[in-house]
Formats: sequence, structure tokens, C-alpha cells
Amino acid sequence: MSTTLPLFRRAFFDSWRSTVAWAAGLAAATFLYLPLYPSIGGSAQMQNMIDALPAEMTKALNYDQIATGPGYTQATLFGLIGFLLMTIASVGWGAAAVGGDEESGQLELTLAHGVTRVQVVLERALSLFLRVVLLAVLVLVLVRLLNDPAQLAIRPENLFGAAVLFAGLALLSGTAALCAGAVSGRRTYGLAAGAAVGVLGYVFNAVGRQSEDVEWLLNLSPYHWAYGNSPVANGADWAAAGWLSGISAALVAVAAFAVDRRDVGT
Amino acid sequence: MAQAISTRSLTKKFGPREALQGVDFSVEVGSVFGVIGPNGAGKTTTMRCLLDIIRPTSGEVRVLGKDPRAGGPELRRRIGYLPGELFLEGRVTGRTLLAHYQAISGPVAPGRIDGLAERLGLDLDRHTRKLSKGNKQKLGLVQAFMHDPELLVLDEPTSGLDPLVQQEFHAMVREAQHNGQTIFLSSHVLSEVQQTADTVAILRDGRIIAVESVSGLRKRAVRRVRFTANGITAHDAGALLDGVPGVGHLEVLDSDGSITLSATVEGAIQPLVRALGALELTDLVLEEPDLEEAVLKMYSSPADTDQREAAR
Repeated sequence: MSTTLPLFRRAFFDSWRSTVAWAAGLAAATFLYLPLYPSIGGSAQMQNMIDALPAEMTKALNYDQIATGPGYTQATLFGLIGFLLMTIASVGWGAAAVGGDEESGQLELTLAHGVTRVQVVLERALSLFLRVVLLAVLVLVLVRLLNDPAQLAIRPENLFGAAVLFAGLALLSGTAALCAGAVSGRRTYGLAAGAAVGVLGYVFNAVGRQSEDVEWLLNLSPYHWAYGNSPVANGADWAAAGWLSGISAALVAVAAFAVDRRDVGT
Repeated sequence: MAQAISTRSLTKKFGPREALQGVDFSVEVGSVFGVIGPNGAGKTTTMRCLLDIIRPTSGEVRVLGKDPRAGGPELRRRIGYLPGELFLEGRVTGRTLLAHYQAISGPVAPGRIDGLAERLGLDLDRHTRKLSKGNKQKLGLVQAFMHDPELLVLDEPTSGLDPLVQQEFHAMVREAQHNGQTIFLSSHVLSEVQQTADTVAILRDGRIIAVESVSGLRKRAVRRVRFTANGITAHDAGALLDGVPGVGHLEVLDSDGSITLSATVEGAIQPLVRALGALELTDLVLEEPDLEEAVLKMYSSPADTDQREAAR
């Protein structure tokens, strides 16, 4: 029997429960945050409160633009809760894709069949990519649906660009996890690498925005590459999207190269 | 005759540890070859080298005429592999999992999967991670056998199987051999392979210390004989048996005009049978030879084995 992309199909369809669970979480976060905008973000009272907060804090949380619909969506959904959920999902999938599978002893049997190692890594990376894109599309659709009821006034092309960067940013953490897991054969190393990319990116952005002395940190922050110009409000920086996907692709290539050259399951 | 597997000076180092220290053996097409040895002897490492899961440090491996590294997916489609430790954790049914492995191995005849599952008594509609160890092992056997590969590489195939299923497995191996397939299997005990294997290799500390045909082992192996006879004294019976070549460990019990004698017999049994023909036997038990003992001798004294090898 020959089916196209058998490894992708298994990785994608066998994990549907996990995909659905993360989709539900993202949907819940979207429905929780965005409808509150008219009563929180848009009100003068809220703006006064934000103004009263230390400037460092509003910058760290990206709350400086929270008084507009796009700024609010950027800060709360794409920049915080959505970013968090997407990163965790992507890192978990990435770490499990090769390193986790090897550690649990199942990769050995897969490799004993008629597949190449490069094929295993690429098809599983494709599955990771598609699952992340699915979640991003879901968020895109939900924000679009809530745009009018929640008076967000987000321009569709800006929303699209933000969703692309949203996916690209999560994918970078996920492919870092996949790569570290594939190189080491350990799920934990994958999780650590993926989490490091996500957390450090966020922290470098938060700290880098505080003063010109530490501004250079922003250059090291994938979070800042993606969200530095607030894409929901101002449109995507497509160069950043290019960088994110380019580095992700390179990480997958490194993973494929590493797995192809080493012993498995030892 | 063509060789399904051959290795020459196969070595594998994991850091400073030498798992294989120059393994040489060959398996003829259509034969059943068992490799036995204690845990850590290098059985699993050898098998993983055949499947290109790990790469040898040095030496040469040929599987179905090809180098496993160069043979790639096309070569592995012609092999059925059962790993020594089988982990099946997915939340999928056995049927779904087998459909996946079917998609990445050689062509599977229609109805073959259900046929094998039925023979082994495996329920394909249960989730794999809820299966017992024995049932996971059955699932592993089905995926190894289902595409009727030219070569089966089975690492401890009977572990976790109850005796009835083991019998069924032995029947499957014999059928596969009858179809011209080659079977390479391992065990840490000989009794598991002696029923099916033509030849056994004994692996210890990363080296093959002996390759023996099972019939050869059987010839050299020690059997136990026990009989009861009337009309003979314990002394005469002892003297009679003493004269038979290969007999040892004589014990005679005298009770009420009949004697019960037990002994061990090494080598041919014809002289023993001839001697017993003169007696008025009321009971006779001649046990299957204990090949385990024959092999244990090799384990315990490698020097003897070397001498025997040299004497050939």
C-alpha cells in the first residue's frame, strides 16, 4: 500500500486530540479578552490607569497602546496569552516529534521500515508547521468575527500579517525544540531549547524596550522582530516573517542532518 | 548457498565501551539462525546494525547482499524487524498502527493482518497503550511478519508470550522458512530457539564464541535415562550400564525384586538401547537432551571451546 506522506499523516492525525485541545484554549482566550475591549481598553478611565502605571511596566507588557482596538488586541492576545499558548503547544509538539519519539523507543521501529531519516524529520516538521498554522488561522478567524462586536477596528490586512507573524514566532520555538530534540535524542533538551527561545525572546524584548543602553537586546529577540512595530496596528514587517521562517527552516535542516548521521536509540 | 546476512570483523564502540568486538557470522538464505547470549552480550546491537539503526565502528555487514547503510528504505522494506523492547504508546488502535506500518513497509497481502492477529489471539481494535506486554509483543510480531519479508530479524520474539502463543509463533517461523524466508532471532536462553533454529551462535561480551548446528548440539548433549526392571539385581544392572559408553551418574534403587535406575547419557543412544534390550523393563523414560547444559559448558569454559574450534 502506498500513501503519500505516511509519516506526516500519522504525526498529524494521531495527535488531533492535542490540536483540538490547544485550539479550544486559544479560542477561549480570544473570547475572554477581546469582548472586554469596549469596557476596558477603550475607556478613558483605563487610559488614566495605564498612565498611572510606571512607564517601565507598560513597556514590558506592551500596554502602551492598549487604548486602541488594534493595540489592545496586539498586547493582550497576540503578545501575551496567545503567544504563551501557541509557544507551549509548538514547543511540546516540536520536542516530541523526534527527540520524544526516540526517547520513548518508538523511533527505532519506524526507522526499521522503508523510510529515510531525513524523510522522518521533514514529514514531522511539516506536521508541526501545519498544526501551528491551523491554530493561527483559527485565531485569525475568531478575531475577524469579534472585530465588529468588540469595536476593535482592526484592518483585515494588518490582522492577516499579525497572524502570519504569530504563527512564525511560535514555529521558531517549535523548530528549536524539534532541532534540539533531534540532535540530542532527548525530549527534555528539546523542551528546554524551545522554551529558552520563547522566554528569552520575550524577556529581551521587555528589557530592551526600557532604555537605549540595552536596546541592542531587541535585535536578539524574535519576539521583537515579529511584534516590534505592533503589526495588528501597523501591518506586518514582512522581512521579520522571512527571518522567522528562514531560521525555522534552517533548524529543521540541521535536525535532519543530525539524525541522519548518528546512531538512534542508544 | 547464498547468504542472507554476513558480518566480518563487526565492531561497535559506544564511547569507551566495546559492545561488539569483531563479530563474524553468516546466515544462509532460507535458514533459521538463533543467536543466544546473556543480556549485554551484543545481540541487540548486532541486530540494530543490520537495520542501519546504529552504524558499526568498523567491519563489514551485508544484508540480502547489500550494505544496510547504502541499501536504504528499499532494503528495509524486504526485512521484518521486531525490536527487543517494544514501545507502543499512541492513542490509536492496533489496526490503525498496523495500517501505518503497512504504509511504510513492503506490500501486505489482503487479509494477512487479520489472519496473523487471529492466529496469535490479538484484538486489533483495542488501543495500543492499553495492551498488556504480551499483546504488544503480538502486535510487534504481526508488523514484522505481515509483509512476508525475505528476512525476519526478531529480537527476543517470545518474551512475554504465554506457552500456547509461543507454539503458534514457532509454527509461524517454520512456515516462513518453508516459504523460503530467512529468520534471524535472538534469545537469552537456548530453549526458546532450539525448537525452531537450525543453527545457533553463542555471543558473549561482544564476540561469537561458538556457532553450532542444533542437531550437533543435540548429539553432544546430555540426556537423562530412568527405568524400572524386574529380575535383575542392583549390582548387575549397575555393571551392565557401566559398560555402555557415555553413561554416567548412575544411581540404582532396589525395592521388592525390582530395581529403579537413573543415569545420564552423553552422545549416541544406540548402545544404551541395545543394552536395555536384554532387560525385563516395566518402565522407561529417556528425556529430551538438555541443550541448555551443553551450551552452559561453552559459556563457563571458553578455553575448551577454543580448543574444540581449533580441533575442527
